[in-house]
Amino acid sequence: MDIFTNVEFIILLTLGFGVIAYLVGRYNKTAGAFATIIGTAITFLAVAYYGLNGELDFTADLFPAFSYGFSNLGIFFAVIVSFIFLMVSFFNPYFVGKYKYPALYSMLFMFSLAGAMGVFFTNDFLDMFFFFEFVVWTSLFLIPLGGSKKAATMYYGFSAAGSFALLFAIFMIQKETGRFNMETAFAHVFTTKQSVVIFFLFMFSGFAKLGAFPLHIWLPKVLGKAPDPISAVFSGGLEKLGAFVAIIGIIRFMPMAITDTAGLFAYLNATAFLSNGMTLLQLIIGLLGAMTIVFGTLMAIRQDDAKKLLAYSSMSNGGYILVAIVLMDSITFSGGLYHIVAHALASTAAFLAIGAVSRQTGTTKMSELGGHIHEMPITYMVYLIAIISMAGIPPMGGFISKWLIFQGVIDKGLIVIGAATFFGSIGSFLYVFRPLAALFLGQQLPQFKDKVKEAPILMLIPLLVLSALNIVTGIFPIQSMRFLNINAVLNELGLQSLVFNGWTIAGHNGGLQATLIAGMFGIGVVIAFVLFMLLKKSKQVGLMDTYTAGNFIYTEELLHYSVDFYAPLERLYEKYINIMKNFYKSLANKVKEFGRVTKYFFFTNKPEITVFWIIVVIAFLLWGDIV
Amino acid sequence: MMVGILTGFGVALFGFVWQTSLGGISRKVVARLQKRYGPKWYQEFLDIFKLLSKRATSHGWIFDLGVIMALGGIIATAAFMPVTNDIFAFADFDNFFIYVYLIAVGMLGMAMSASGSGNPLASIGVMRALTTMLAYEVPFMVIVMVIIKHAGTSSLRGIAMAQQDAGMWYMVALPLGFIVAFICLLGMLGKKPFETYIAPAELASGPMVEYGGKQLGMLFIMHEITVFIEVSLFVHLFLGGAENIFVFLLKYFVVYSVANLVSNVNGRFKIDQVVVFFYKWILPLAMIQAFVALYMNGWWN
Amino acid sequence: MESTKFSPITKLSKEEVDRKWWEIGDFFRRNSLWMLMYCTGCCAIELPPAMTSAYDMERLGMGPMATPRQADVLLVTGYLSLKTLRRVIYTYEQMSEPKYIVGFGSCTINGGIYHDSHVVINQLDQYIPVDTYVAGCMPNTEAVMNGFIDLMSLIKNKKADGWKRYKENYEWYKKNQIDSLGEVQVHDEYHQ
Repeated sequence: MDIFTNVEFIILLTLGFGVIAYLVGRYNKTAGAFATIIGTAITFLAVAYYGLNGELDFTADLFPAFSYGFSNLGIFFAVIVSFIFLMVSFFNPYFVGKYKYPALYSMLFMFSLAGAMGVFFTNDFLDMFFFFEFVVWTSLFLIPLGGSKKAATMYYGFSAAGSFALLFAIFMIQKETGRFNMETAFAHVFTTKQSVVIFFLFMFSGFAKLGAFPLHIWLPKVLGKAPDPISAVFSGGLEKLGAFVAIIGIIRFMPMAITDTAGLFAYLNATAFLSNGMTLLQLIIGLLGAMTIVFGTLMAIRQDDAKKLLAYSSMSNGGYILVAIVLMDSITFSGGLYHIVAHALASTAAFLAIGAVSRQTGTTKMSELGGHIHEMPITYMVYLIAIISMAGIPPMGGFISKWLIFQGVIDKGLIVIGAATFFGSIGSFLYVFRPLAALFLGQQLPQFKDKVKEAPILMLIPLLVLSALNIVTGIFPIQSMRFLNINAVLNELGLQSLVFNGWTIAGHNGGLQATLIAGMFGIGVVIAFVLFMLLKKSKQVGLMDTYTAGNFIYTEELLHYSVDFYAPLERLYEKYINIMKNFYKSLANKVKEFGRVTKYFFFTNKPEITVFWIIVVIAFLLWGDIV
Repeated sequence: MMVGILTGFGVALFGFVWQTSLGGISRKVVARLQKRYGPKWYQEFLDIFKLLSKRATSHGWIFDLGVIMALGGIIATAAFMPVTNDIFAFADFDNFFIYVYLIAVGMLGMAMSASGSGNPLASIGVMRALTTMLAYEVPFMVIVMVIIKHAGTSSLRGIAMAQQDAGMWYMVALPLGFIVAFICLLGMLGKKPFETYIAPAELASGPMVEYGGKQLGMLFIMHEITVFIEVSLFVHLFLGGAENIFVFLLKYFVVYSVANLVSNVNGRFKIDQVVVFFYKWILPLAMIQAFVALYMNGWWN
Repeated sequence: MESTKFSPITKLSKEEVDRKWWEIGDFFRRNSLWMLMYCTGCCAIELPPAMTSAYDMERLGMGPMATPRQADVLLVTGYLSLKTLRRVIYTYEQMSEPKYIVGFGSCTINGGIYHDSHVVINQLDQYIPVDTYVAGCMPNTEAVMNGFIDLMSLIKNKKADGWKRYKENYEWYKKNQIDSLGEVQVHDEYHQ
């Protein structure tokens, strides 16, 4: 079993399972999908068991060009991402039949997991860039299997911009420190103007992968049109790559003590800009994070397609993670890390629940669905627990992370970022409630009445496991944090650990005892249940026997409220939603124009222009003699 | 721990009894304003017990489960509320955010079961309730952020005792904040002019359209305890808490009566007017108050 | 010798326990009647004076409620054409038990001034069980208040059991309804 402690072996094994899945999938697509389940299970068990116990072995024997190193942050992210891949892989056998290239799907699924593991474990910046691009390319070809090529193009455009920014930053680091190694880069103290540029490039790359404002246009299109398991993997797993890059950028590359400066760069110096000790750079990133939260929430409220709604929700939660990280305060940072965990679990569960519904009914648009709780009660409960966690309501995990983030925001006294955070928190009730009311509750539509059944047992397993974890991370946060070694990650990044007093988490202005809250909630529900049972039993009536002011009704579609659910609120900001999209469209048009200009001047078949260039070049070469 | 839990449920029961009686007394006050006699002071108790004794109809398991979850969540929230400096269930765990989010559990349970009844009027009512919540919570939380930063603790009892030690209430120290919080309190209690989500004649009482009998009785109990929690929150945050029980009852009575009288002379806003009102007038006021309190502290000295 | 302190405690039989709960229940029900704001005919104009300042109905604990599921009392105010009667019966069946009906005006007693019309029914009691009537065309507001107090005392004496009568004699009521109104034709205009 010792061979499984070697990180290089794990990554090669994942790649190998990808090839096996492809070969098996050529003969039988469902068997290829089962191969992905087994592959991801082995990867997750190896990484989690050996990683969390600190026994991973980082020597690279077979491919010495790639080197790996120990970092608690990498192990933390690797455990989460591989777990999400494992849960989603249970859905593969049921969805693989719909795609045009099922064997390719299974192979690319495993390859993207291998690439993500490589990004987290590697020690060298060039290797990180290689694995980063590997993830982009493998997930790029998974997207059009859902039917839309434009989504793939958009994804590639934004991801390529992010990757090239990362490459540029890596070369600038190499120029500063002389090597591509991560440890020397982290130990070096950056004092020149270039460090600000490096910081911005890292943040640009992180924003592009995380889907934060202003690079968020690809997120709803891709997650809305990709195959359902892939949307879950993107939201729960691959976006965390962006969070990883952002954490490295902020914690390691925030410019400190720039010495050869004047003017603007002196202002961007690490001295405190605000009275609470925050620098201008932190404030800028924090404001961008706040705008991500607000825009994500507002756009999510008006969506009709459930997957696009959850995509905007992922964008909004990415904003939360950014705000949490940039405050650079140990309590808020641990809140951000815990939010990564809680959001990954909740968002994946929500996407998978919607996927289970769409497999039976063929659509995810909420205006065409209704009343599915009566046929799919377990899927409903899974979705309910997921949205309780996403909205940050106790007793689920989302409350713990939001509480920790609020502690930091209040302690620093940030008014605008605080208002945006509160707005996002309350607004999330609105948009997560909409699929619940429009899709699961309400009237049962006649076209689905007897044709929809509960999801099959193999699909229910990951849904139930994710729900159980959502509950456990909320009721026992201290044990979960100890299990994932969050204090080790904080110490490695130079921040203080979280203080646990017995069963309480200590914050800046108060303590949080989550077990007590969950316990009181449980006792309260028991009291209400006892009261309910003691009273007279109710008469059960059907859904159509409802108050209609005495009218007789026969059509369920007219009684189901799902189209334009938040219409009065939407009308208030309808005019402003296309600003960023139009900006990018005009940017694309300007690039096309530039290409046409170049083509006109340099690639033409007009003899006048050739003569012009000949004269210009000769004049340039003979300048000294002419003048 | 057990003593704490029992005290907590005692506080919830006390809150229910006190608020229900006060509801009846308020109805009498409003009736006297309209030159009539009004019901008995214990009329609300009679209403609730009458509802609990009827046999109602139910639309499925989600209908009942939502009501149980709503009432359970609210009882749990009320258990954390400190009443005076000496009567409290859990020291240091009565964080402000627990109240905001556990009330949200109650609302989610009610919304779930209202939509599960199949009536579109219930879903519209829930939509309006959530939109109103989006409007009033953000300014309120900005003001509370200022109070927490200033007092240094987010425990309600801590904030109340800080005001008693300093000898000045936040009502006087943050006047704009007091006005903002009072208007947000009107929104929280669901009183006119922010009563859009119930709208008796427009939406046939909104989310409560399909409830009868014991479910409606349990929802009424939930509403009374929610009002108790919200007005107590206001008393502890802005009026300095209470040293003994009589002072608490007096302050509570004054706040609730003023809220009741203000709401009885107003009409009802439309839902987009509610959102525009809060974001155009109240949120900027809250931000100005926060800016002045946090960053311009003592500039006049 | 046995001490007299340890005599066995008699338990109430089931009917007696039920009756005790029913009495408590009746106390609550008669002091907090909620009426459904369903105004079928001209006698409805007598309700606002009863609700407002002069003859305050809220003193008795009565108040208006929006939907039949929440209400206890259905006030059938005025004449009932066939169209309205179908909806009144549907609304009555949607109410939660125990429920009461008060018939206002002469039209519910014997047809009133419309007794020879071909679209108005004459005796409401044949179709749904009525607990008490308030006679007059229209009744005076003091008569309306008197009618409510009569209903409350009927509840106290356990004579207001119209809903039980409806359940026991359902076939008789249904036969009368079908004779006068015919079957309710459900007619799907949306899909035609």
